[in-house]
Amino acid sequence: MVGLSIGEKHFIQGGIAQDLRSDGRKRLTTRPIYVETGVISQANGSARVRMGATDVIASVKAELGRPNALQPDKGKVVVNVDCSPTAAPMFEGRGGEELSAELSVALQCCLLGGKSGSGAGIDLSSLVVVEGKICWDLYIDGLVVSSDGNLLDALGAAIKAALSNTGIPKVNVAAGASGDEQPEVDVSDEEFLQFDTSRVPVIVTLTKVGRHYIVDATSEEESQMSSAVSISINRQGHICGLTKRGGAGLDPSIILDMISVAKTVSEQLINTLDSHIAAAEAGEEES
Amino acid sequence: MEYVSPEGLRLDGRRPMEMRQIRAEIGVVAKADGSALFEMGNTKVIAAVYGPREVQNRSQQLNDSALVRCEYTMANFSTGDRMRKPKGDRRSTEISLVIRQTMEACIMTHLMPRSQIDIFVQVLQADGGTRSACINAASLALADAGIPMRDLVTSCSAGYLNSTPLLDLNYIEDSAGGADVTLGILPKLDKVTLLQMDAKLSVETFENVMQLAIEGCKAVATYIREVLLENTKQLEYRRGI
Repeated sequence: MVGLSIGEKHFIQGGIAQDLRSDGRKRLTTRPIYVETGVISQANGSARVRMGATDVIASVKAELGRPNALQPDKGKVVVNVDCSPTAAPMFEGRGGEELSAELSVALQCCLLGGKSGSGAGIDLSSLVVVEGKICWDLYIDGLVVSSDGNLLDALGAAIKAALSNTGIPKVNVAAGASGDEQPEVDVSDEEFLQFDTSRVPVIVTLTKVGRHYIVDATSEEESQMSSAVSISINRQGHICGLTKRGGAGLDPSIILDMISVAKTVSEQLINTLDSHIAAAEAGEEES
Repeated sequence: MEYVSPEGLRLDGRRPMEMRQIRAEIGVVAKADGSALFEMGNTKVIAAVYGPREVQNRSQQLNDSALVRCEYTMANFSTGDRMRKPKGDRRSTEISLVIRQTMEACIMTHLMPRSQIDIFVQVLQADGGTRSACINAASLALADAGIPMRDLVTSCSAGYLNSTPLLDLNYIEDSAGGADVTLGILPKLDKVTLLQMDAKLSVETFENVMQLAIEGCKAVATYIREVLLENTKQLEYRRGI
């Protein structure tokens, strides 16, 4: 999509090699991040995150459902991403579906762990209301409004912000239901439970251009990448998920090196994100 | 159900002739040639315009005028209950068509032959009147993209419930089953470019409702003009003229 001349390509690659990128950043510097919470009033929680010209919205909706028979003590979380045609004309019609699916799967494995749900960044057992009978289904929807590279990191940050903005209604279960009967529930519209988001990971994507790798690549830089590794890391420094995109092969030792770099970058990112989320929440309460 | 209380207040506390709060913002999508956000109460839409540019599909090229295309999409989270399958259903196709036709009427397409203009509208929150909000947003986005237009198009809806004409219906009033008139006008030329109504009304009532909708459109036009003027002033300031 990005049309670049040979000169421009050399300029971008040369800049990265010399640790001075076209927008003045160093290889491991991220763009300033803006967080706004509570943008979608109909959702249980929502956030809008901007990184340069990348602009994404994430919303969380909670619905009561039945837990999976194999995991009666866990709730369900579904992550879905849509690319709006406003971001690029090529997402028109079904054009954005491939990228949407790629992002959804990557987020799913970065946030939710494996099929069993163990090791998930989101604590699934906190979503259970009555074991085996009622649980909350969280639908996390991401929407890409404007795209200038590094969509996965932005979506990850937006989801983290949206989750900390989420209030799940308190449920009172009527006693007396026994056996296979579905107990009656009373969903409170006044009391909300806050979600514990301290363990929700952030995603750091390292994009390899030439012999070096950079964080928070713009779409021009992404067009020059040979491969990219997205690593999701939580506050404790645990790796919660990992995906590699792009065709070119990577040396195993480089991957390990990338992970340790991602860990240091993620610490800064978590700190800035947390302070931005807190500021956004405070700002929302005031208005 | 009672949609207008005996005191003359509607469900959300508005008077029958009162519009919801409107808010517009220009330049919300950095990569687009023109973009705008438009809010009417809880309804919130983003419009982005790409073009005029080369025609992507050669067979669609028009030799005497620009090709205008439009796509309307609703976000999964835009409605009260989460939507499952939003893309390309009949309703969005129909709204895309309505928006395209309305915008085509005001764009001076003959000035840009063999080119293409794409209008994408994305609904972030739907609470009645998405059609109107989309047209207003598209109008602003086209103006932001600097595309030559005969006039701004503005749109507003009006309805008739409990024998009272109501301006700018929200979702509850919209789904109440009464008449719903969506109107689009060219405010300077004083022409109607879009008119849709469902349900039945007597001719006299229709006249009143339509008059109300026209007033609504004009109020929107005044606001849009203010926003554009303010935006231009900002641009002028930034260029240091």
